[in-house]
Amino acid sequence: MTEPLLSIEDLRVHFHTDAGVVKAVDGVSWSIGPGETLGIVGESGSGKSVSALAVMGLVEVPPARYESGRILFKGRDLLTADDKERRAIRGKEISMIFQDPLTALNPVFRVGHQIAEVIQAHEKMGRIAARAKAVDLLGEVGIPNPRQRAREYPHQFSGGMRQRAMIAMALALDPLVLLADEPTTALDVTVQAQIMDLLIRLQADRGTAIVLITHDLGLVAGHADRVLVMYAGKVAELGTIDDVYYRPRHPYTLGLLKSLARMDQRRSDRLQPIVGQPPSLIRVPPGCPFNPRCPFATDICRQEMPPLEPKDGPDHLAACHHSDQLALQQSPAAS
Amino acid sequence: MTALVEVENLVKHYPIRSGIVFRHDVGAVRAVDGISFDLEQGETFALVGESGCGKSTTARAVLRLIEPTSGSIRFEGEDITTAGASRLRALRREMQMIFQDPFASLNPRMTVRGILREPFTIHGLDADGKVEALLNMVGLLPEHAGRYPHEFSGGQRQRVGIARALALNPKLIVCDEPVSALDVSIRAQVINLLEDLQAQLKLTYLFIAHDLSVVRHIADRVAVMYLGTIVETAPTDDLFERPSHPYTQALISAVPVPDPNRERARRRILVSGDVPSPVNPPSGCRFRTRCPKFANELTEAQQQRCIDEPPALVDRGEGHPSACHYAEARELV
Repeated sequence: MTEPLLSIEDLRVHFHTDAGVVKAVDGVSWSIGPGETLGIVGESGSGKSVSALAVMGLVEVPPARYESGRILFKGRDLLTADDKERRAIRGKEISMIFQDPLTALNPVFRVGHQIAEVIQAHEKMGRIAARAKAVDLLGEVGIPNPRQRAREYPHQFSGGMRQRAMIAMALALDPLVLLADEPTTALDVTVQAQIMDLLIRLQADRGTAIVLITHDLGLVAGHADRVLVMYAGKVAELGTIDDVYYRPRHPYTLGLLKSLARMDQRRSDRLQPIVGQPPSLIRVPPGCPFNPRCPFATDICRQEMPPLEPKDGPDHLAACHHSDQLALQQSPAAS
Repeated sequence: MTALVEVENLVKHYPIRSGIVFRHDVGAVRAVDGISFDLEQGETFALVGESGCGKSTTARAVLRLIEPTSGSIRFEGEDITTAGASRLRALRREMQMIFQDPFASLNPRMTVRGILREPFTIHGLDADGKVEALLNMVGLLPEHAGRYPHEFSGGQRQRVGIARALALNPKLIVCDEPVSALDVSIRAQVINLLEDLQAQLKLTYLFIAHDLSVVRHIADRVAVMYLGTIVETAPTDDLFERPSHPYTQALISAVPVPDPNRERARRRILVSGDVPSPVNPPSGCRFRTRCPKFANELTEAQQQRCIDEPPALVDRGEGHPSACHYAEARELV
């Protein structure tokens, strides 16, 4: 891989609540290069969104506290940068889209106005020119009748149209990195296909790097180059999609792949679930956080957090004491 | 096999009213527009489709939680659309529902014991010892009875919802998106539980879902709905291996599978635009406004037929019924 554009190093974001310390992100590192797509998968409460929110400076401090880590964008640490410097990067060089565009768009302003506002916040451009650019962008993301649509309010848009409008806003300033947090989870599957198709096309045109945060292993298999699997605030596994899907070296990844019902296969007798449930981030089990649910767990797993180490090759990392045993297992993704 | 439920020409229109003093109907949301299907004893029949296609309305009408506008629903041969209040109450013991969001469907102020005893109280039955038996059946422990819904995880809450549905030993359970609110690693647990219970108790499931992966695993037969009508219905493997309606094809091709090589090899059939309003559905075939086949493959004369004539849901030589004039099976997964 070439020089990474954005990299996160040993990030720890802990939330101090009345109930205890929530270790939402606990020693996470990842990086993304130009034009690349990195998938971040995990279940709710795995901390998969928090590192992206931290990049955008959207994590409120307090209750959150950055216990350690750096967020490097083109070599500059965003965590220590001053407000002015961060504002210049956020929204312009790095932008983000969210799961629910209705809550992300302001309900009392017209869609075109909101997009123009983003442009004017970063570029010296008159109101009329900015509005015209907003209309162009709406057209580019496939909204029919963009001139008229720009004058409408978010509630007049359908779910898919709103997501397109949010993508238009996020891409208004040609960012180098787009953080997409569950961009299609709220949408129907045919609309999901339209939106993913749009993102891929825009990525090809502009060379945008995309961080695709999702719980859907299918979406990542279809669209990402590499994937980061998160569990209980920590990285379980990181590698190219082929390495992770066909040669998983962490029992959580293997368990997830085994537990999925597959649309492309005749039914097997029974699904093989992962036993138990994900831990609360306030009471993460000692040692490897996955040990209470892991079929491979031994005493060392209950005592020592396994380091995230290279397996097979330098780009395939897994945090498991027993990943050698996993190498002998047939991956359910290989068909 | 005999049919437990027979639905015939079911229609549910919600009137749109206007005026403050003189209320009058100005139109109708045609949520369900003339659908027919049977549920065989002991099978899982899935209704799939995207939001607004009418699948949940259909399910609720089958339980008579809403009054159908027209059409008939027979349960064990008895027309329940005309059943009176007391008959309906008796029928409700036979048919139950599991909801998508177990947090919203369980009363937060009641303990699990209270929630599970309620069906017995309503029907004047003895609940002694039943709560423990039900908890055991769904894989929960006796001591869970004293807890409140918020003390459970999502998967456990759904188990409570399932136990409540099972309380009166029903024959039919309508499962409305029972696993879509659950985390990926928990889904398989609940799906397995539903399958075990079906085998053990000879249950019939009407399974409502938008997740085709789950449907392929759990269903025996599937009906695909679009804008209030069934566009294709077939035994599960048949539907996934030889989908013949363009909408079913688009739906199947849009679902990503967790296998990078397959994903690289797959061809997506994209449909354009959004679902039209059910107030004013397109003439003829309702899918024609978004249909890739209509747009790219048909001649003008053929297109005219789609505009004029609503296609009947019949087998056009593809092995199962499909509501497309130009039905043609394709392999997509």
